[in-house]
Amino acid sequence: MKKQFCFYSVALLCLPFLMACSEDESPVVVTPLEVETVENLHAPNDVVNRQTGEVIQENPFQYFSFEQNGLVESVDGDWDIGFKGTTIIVNSGISGPGNARGMVMQGLFSEMSEVPSDASLRVDTEDVLAIPHGSGNGWYNYNNTTHLISPIPGRFLVFQTNAGNYVKMEILSYYRDNPPMDEADFTTGGYYTFEYVLQLNGSRVFE
Amino acid sequence: MKIRINPIKVNILLLPFILAAFVVWAGRPGDELSVKDARGFPIPHAIVKWGEENFATVDENGVFRIPESMGEAEEIEILALGYASRKVQLSHLNPGQDILLKEHLGQLNEVVIAATRTNRSVADLPMPVQVINQEKIQETGGMRLSEVLREQTGLQVVSNHGAGLQMQGLSSDYILILLDGEPMIGRTAGTFDLDRISVSNIERIEVLRGPSSAIYGSEAMAGVINIITKESTEPAHGTVQGRYRSFNTMDLTAEGGVNQNGWNIYGFYNRFSTDGFDLNPSVLGNTQSPYHAHTGQLKVGKKLGQKWEMKTFLRGYAEDSEDMMGIREGGETLAAGMRGKRRELNINPTLIFRPNEDWLLTLRGMTSLFSTRSSSWFMESGESIDIQDFDQVYHRTEFQVDHQLTKDQLLTFGMGQLLETVDATRYDELNRFDAGYLFLQHQWEAGKKWNLVSGMRADLHSQYGGQVSPKVSAMYQFSDTFSWQASLGAGFKAPDFRQLLLNFNNAAAGYYVFGANLVQEGIANLQAQGLVRQILIDPTQFGELKAESSWAINTGGRWQAHEDVLVQVNFFRNHIENLIETAPVARLSTGQNAFSYFNISSVITQGGELDVLYRINERLQLSLGYMYLDSRDRDVLAAIDVGDIFRRDSQNRTRQVTRSDYGGLFNRSRHSGNIKLNYYEPFTGICTALRGIYRGPFGFGDVNGNLILDDPREYAPGIFQTNLTLSKTFERGLMFEVGGFNLLNQLNIYDPTNPGRTYFIGAKVPLHRYFN
Repeated sequence: MKKQFCFYSVALLCLPFLMACSEDESPVVVTPLEVETVENLHAPNDVVNRQTGEVIQENPFQYFSFEQNGLVESVDGDWDIGFKGTTIIVNSGISGPGNARGMVMQGLFSEMSEVPSDASLRVDTEDVLAIPHGSGNGWYNYNNTTHLISPIPGRFLVFQTNAGNYVKMEILSYYRDNPPMDEADFTTGGYYTFEYVLQLNGSRVFE
Repeated sequence: MKIRINPIKVNILLLPFILAAFVVWAGRPGDELSVKDARGFPIPHAIVKWGEENFATVDENGVFRIPESMGEAEEIEILALGYASRKVQLSHLNPGQDILLKEHLGQLNEVVIAATRTNRSVADLPMPVQVINQEKIQETGGMRLSEVLREQTGLQVVSNHGAGLQMQGLSSDYILILLDGEPMIGRTAGTFDLDRISVSNIERIEVLRGPSSAIYGSEAMAGVINIITKESTEPAHGTVQGRYRSFNTMDLTAEGGVNQNGWNIYGFYNRFSTDGFDLNPSVLGNTQSPYHAHTGQLKVGKKLGQKWEMKTFLRGYAEDSEDMMGIREGGETLAAGMRGKRRELNINPTLIFRPNEDWLLTLRGMTSLFSTRSSSWFMESGESIDIQDFDQVYHRTEFQVDHQLTKDQLLTFGMGQLLETVDATRYDELNRFDAGYLFLQHQWEAGKKWNLVSGMRADLHSQYGGQVSPKVSAMYQFSDTFSWQASLGAGFKAPDFRQLLLNFNNAAAGYYVFGANLVQEGIANLQAQGLVRQILIDPTQFGELKAESSWAINTGGRWQAHEDVLVQVNFFRNHIENLIETAPVARLSTGQNAFSYFNISSVITQGGELDVLYRINERLQLSLGYMYLDSRDRDVLAAIDVGDIFRRDSQNRTRQVTRSDYGGLFNRSRHSGNIKLNYYEPFTGICTALRGIYRGPFGFGDVNGNLILDDPREYAPGIFQTNLTLSKTFERGLMFEVGGFNLLNQLNIYDPTNPGRTYFIGAKVPLHRYFN
């Protein structure tokens, strides 16, 4: 299985900040954080018999590390979050040996400049995953007419990585090649495209 | 006096077109006159009036023979339903002369029963009503009810578990369908499938807009469709009719009956079959499944002396369909067979007693049985996939008293009891509901200008408790040619079976849906199995499902701008509260949810309807209809205002939704309308009815993930269908027709009721006119 990851920085976003600084007496150049994009992370769900609900073929989770910006081989590695079908787990609690935490946030991904101090990032527990599963509960809605999974607009995810760094992440698509939702084909599901911003210095501020 | 318990048809002619004739002839007893319409066809059963109180009817060929008793009368008046009455000086006539009557515009003097449960003419009713008569039904070339209604201004046919009607922006769930005044049962997911109704035995269709829960109770929230079936009007008659059209669709009808010695018997049989059609051939199975259906009807009426009358109405319907579908399993598509069955039986006995002119007592019984069965299986292995059964029984007994208080006031009182049971695969056990109701209505013609109808109904139901629905309507006649009306009324819709009784588990996805009656028990069971992680809604709210309720105002006017121009307009606003929707009640250990039904939303639909009729000349008539519709979910608007709703653009990036993005409810067209041209060519005798039906863009479903209509990608394009019917009627009523639907072949994948261009031919033979 071939996975393709793309990285690019948004250089244009830097311009306003750089220009704003030039008016200051003692200029401090702030380097904006880069928005990383991951495309087509393939994490197929288990194959289920539609009539009985029985699992015919079990598929593994795909473990992802933000710091490495790539997949980690196994559950024992240094990973932050895992994907399988529409389920997203964090490396802690019932899901893994690590300390990663996560939560769902409401609002515009691009406008959140700081993780609020009252934000309660959680570990995965038996009762509830940090990113709750099920249509409408977490990051997606399921349409039972078209069978399409659509990321809920205005919801994005915030994580604390295994290493303790804050990340904000928005899932753009669940379908191969990030198609517009009106062109999505439900048979190409299980391919995540998402964007994230990682703050490596441990601060809650994304600037 | 316009308010009458049993008006004779003479009294329904109100509009001021009285034409005088100026020809010379002195009528003598035995001389004949022929009453004909503008196209030269006889008007059977027209009434000739003379002197103070004398009248006689013309025969079925429109011929009137001057009787001895006419004596010295100088002037006669000829009246016929649907035509302007006409006064003629006998001295101005020649023997055998034709007397031509001019047709009224807009069927304003047709009798309407649905609006008040008493016979009133369209023009007299202070609420928006419309009558679609047989001629109008005929000219649509339609075989099923959906094909007739979709051509009317302000009515849409929307496909959702069948061809469902939409009126004033409200869906089929909120529209009561009556057959000869009795409610029809048998809905699938709230939709009453209009394709179940054959049109060839329909005398007329009454369309009543705005809530009528004040007389009908539940479901009559957006309006009422009352289908009036034919009765025997001639001593003996029999007609056969057939239509054939594209997709091997065939509609065959035989009807006949007698009307003599106080007996009125009418029998009807219809067979309909179609091969269906497929808009998406790359997917296994048809868009419309092939099916065939039989409808049989028997109406028996007997007058017992002057005061008593008995009627019994029987109707049976049987439909069988067969199709295929593809089921994806583990990456491959397996072919599955599907079979569907629908059966329906209606029995309505009625007993009528008229002790004197001022009282009318009616006792009605009504029993309906409706059942469906659907099954599917894998074609290859023969293994059964699913079998679903649904059996519903509805019984109602009703007693109605009409009392003429004064010559311009009529009081109606009614009481009834109903019993309903349902047994279905997805519901546990046999379920039973009981209800009782009372209604009271006062009709008052206050002076020459005012016309008032007020009423109230109280329903008591074993499931949702009590409901009181008032309504008041008034019309002011500014002049002979202009009137304005307003009505304010409450409507409600009881929770349906699904919302109360559903017990559904989707094994593949792992979610549950419980009806309000079962949610308590269902969740307790899941808890006992250790499957519940978290209860999301306060359990004391479980099962508290109220009826959906609405307030609505309708106001509009009718302006006879000219003898040949009629303008009608109506504005409406429906305000609906406690709309029932599903919401998650518990989060399960599988990560999925259990759902139940709750009173959640609040919705507004508002708009206006305009109809203009213009008779350009005796041969050519033009009509234009337009509806503007605005619909909105108030909770969505509130969420937009606080900035809680977002959307994804075509790159799937998020942005905030503003009020101007919001397009209201799905499946509603902001603009819709029609243009109709009727032309009669006198040389060949061919009638042409050319209709253009426009349905504007409408939201078909959510695309950008926020579940509301706010994105140009979520709209289906508008569509303009061109329909044409050519017909010719011969002397004895033999009729041939040919025509087509959607001649420009406009297709829209979001409208699965539209197969594209179709052609049809048909013929109708009134046998009794040939073998007399």
